[in-house]
This record gives sequence, C-alpha cells and structure tokens, in this order.
Amino acid sequence: MSAGHANSAALGEGARSFVLFPLGKKRFALPADVVTELARPDRLQAFPHTTPRLTGVLVRRGHIVPVFDVAQVLLGAGAPARKFYLIATRHFGSAREWTAIPVTGECELTAAEVVPPTGGLPGYVVGLLSLEREIVELLDLEKLAAAEVSS
Amino acid sequence: MRITRPERKRTSRRGEAVILFSVAGTSFAVAVSAVEEIRSTEGLRPAPQGFAGFRLPKVKYLLERERRTYFVVDANLHFHILPSRATRVLILRHAPVAVLVDNIEKTSEITVLHALPHAFEGDEMQWYRGLALFGEQVVPVVRPESFLSKGEVAVAQASASKLAAAAASPAPGAASA
Repeated sequence: MSAGHANSAALGEGARSFVLFPLGKKRFALPADVVTELARPDRLQAFPHTTPRLTGVLVRRGHIVPVFDVAQVLLGAGAPARKFYLIATRHFGSAREWTAIPVTGECELTAAEVVPPTGGLPGYVVGLLSLEREIVELLDLEKLAAAEVSS
Repeated sequence: MRITRPERKRTSRRGEAVILFSVAGTSFAVAVSAVEEIRSTEGLRPAPQGFAGFRLPKVKYLLERERRTYFVVDANLHFHILPSRATRVLILRHAPVAVLVDNIEKTSEITVLHALPHAFEGDEMQWYRGLALFGEQVVPVVRPESFLSKGEVAVAQASASKLAAAAASPAPGAASA
C-alpha cells in the first residue's frame, strides 16, 4: 500500500485518513481505520452457500476470512479481474470480523476532507473525497453488503 | 427456525473424528458419530411418483434397511450445486435419513471447529456447524440434521405410508376373484 500525495498538514482540521482502492478504471475509498492490510493474491476457497456477494474464504494467519466481492455491486458483472485483497474489518453487532475485498490494483493511503454525497448516489456512498484530479466515492461496507447487485 | 451461531472463538479443543466426503469436487466433513453406515448405491429405489409432492425434491431415493425406510437426500440438490456422479450413501444415525455423495475421501480428526464467519447469512447457517482447517484447506463441517428436518422427515414418512397404502389396496373397479 503506498502513501498518498495528499498532505494532511495542508488540509483542514476535518481531514481524515482513507484507503483508496482501484476497481477497473475507478477508485473508491474506505476509512483507513477499517483496513487491516493489502494482501497478495491468495488461494480462494469456495464451498456451497447462498449469501450473495460472498465468493469464498481465504486463510490468513490462521483466520478464515470471507471474501466479499464489492465489484459485483459497484461495477456489475463486467468487473475486471481482481488482483489483490484488501482486508477490512466489518462489524456485526458487538462482534468484529475480517473481510477480504478483491481489488484490481495497488491501494493508496491518503488524507482528505469528506464532503457530503450529492443526491442520486447510492446509499452506500456516504461521502465524497475531493482529490487533486478525481472525486472518489467513500463507501460504507455494511450498506454495501445490503445493496442490490447492479446488472 | 432460528439458528444461533457458536461462539466466535474456536469452539472445540477436544478431538472429534470426522468423515471427509466429496460432492461435485467440494469436500465436506461430518462427525463419525452421526453416521451409522457407509454403503454403495446398490439397493436404492427411486422415490415413487407423487412422493411428498413438490415439498421434498431433494429426496431422490428410498432405501429399505433392517425393515426401516430411509429417505435418501441428493447432496447436490441439498447444497444447490451442479449434478455429479454419486457412488456412496451415508446412512445417518439420528433419523431415517441417508445422503447420496460422490466419494468418501478419508476419516480424520478435528481439534478446532471454527465458527462460520458472521458474513455468511444464508442457508449455510443451517447446513454447517462450522469450518475445519486441514492444513490450509477449509472444509465445512455439516450439521447432519439439516439434510432433512424433523418436519421434513414427518412429511416424507406420511407420504411414503400413503403411497404404500394406495399400492396395497385394490384399484377401483378391479374384478375380485
């Protein structure tokens, strides 16, 4: 994971850290505090289940980590091949659990201020990061998990 | 039916003997104590037409064993996976239920049963007691009673009895000797 070029010292008091991850031609953001690590491609293991968007599990340091394919929601069926796994923490009531999110390239750590999402964006976009050359959607993992798959 | 998850931490430190079996290329484990017998598919009788209506399509065969009728569940249909070539039948101990599987891989022992991660929230919560690790391989440990619930067994038994009674009674209008 590379450090971003945004300089938090140059930003206002409201700046927070985020991890930007690529999915195809777009990048999305998650709060840095929910991201544990960026993992190299690992052995995805699948077994029968009926939970949408879970594609299997990985074994990471003795933990069994479910793989949550957010690209199905964000890009639909035509998402490009995913190369890495972003390991993030999801909350289930008082329990916390790692989730692996397949992404298509290297991630970047950056600091930015969040602006509220504009109307018309899906509910899982909880803010926008205005960076030098792009606007990046900030995602809420739980809302994303509950979202319908786009066609 | 409400399924409660086991503790998030590893739930068992005692060793448990399991049978590893495969269905359509996926390995599963079941407790040795839940299995009465493993046999070939010889002697399976296709479920008669009209058996349990459309309520139990996964019961594909019946098996008579020691004057008891076993309802044989097709594991592919149970787990919603593509058909494969079944060669073995696991006869379960807790109920008159058997399961059609592809192969028996081996028997082994698990010392740790990992709870199914919270992210899983579908039928698998009923199907699996948890997950076991064999080296780096993750194997779901099945909940034997999930193949057919008590209610489904009752439906199957009622349907089988009804069909047997219908077969035994003379057809309407049949001439008597």
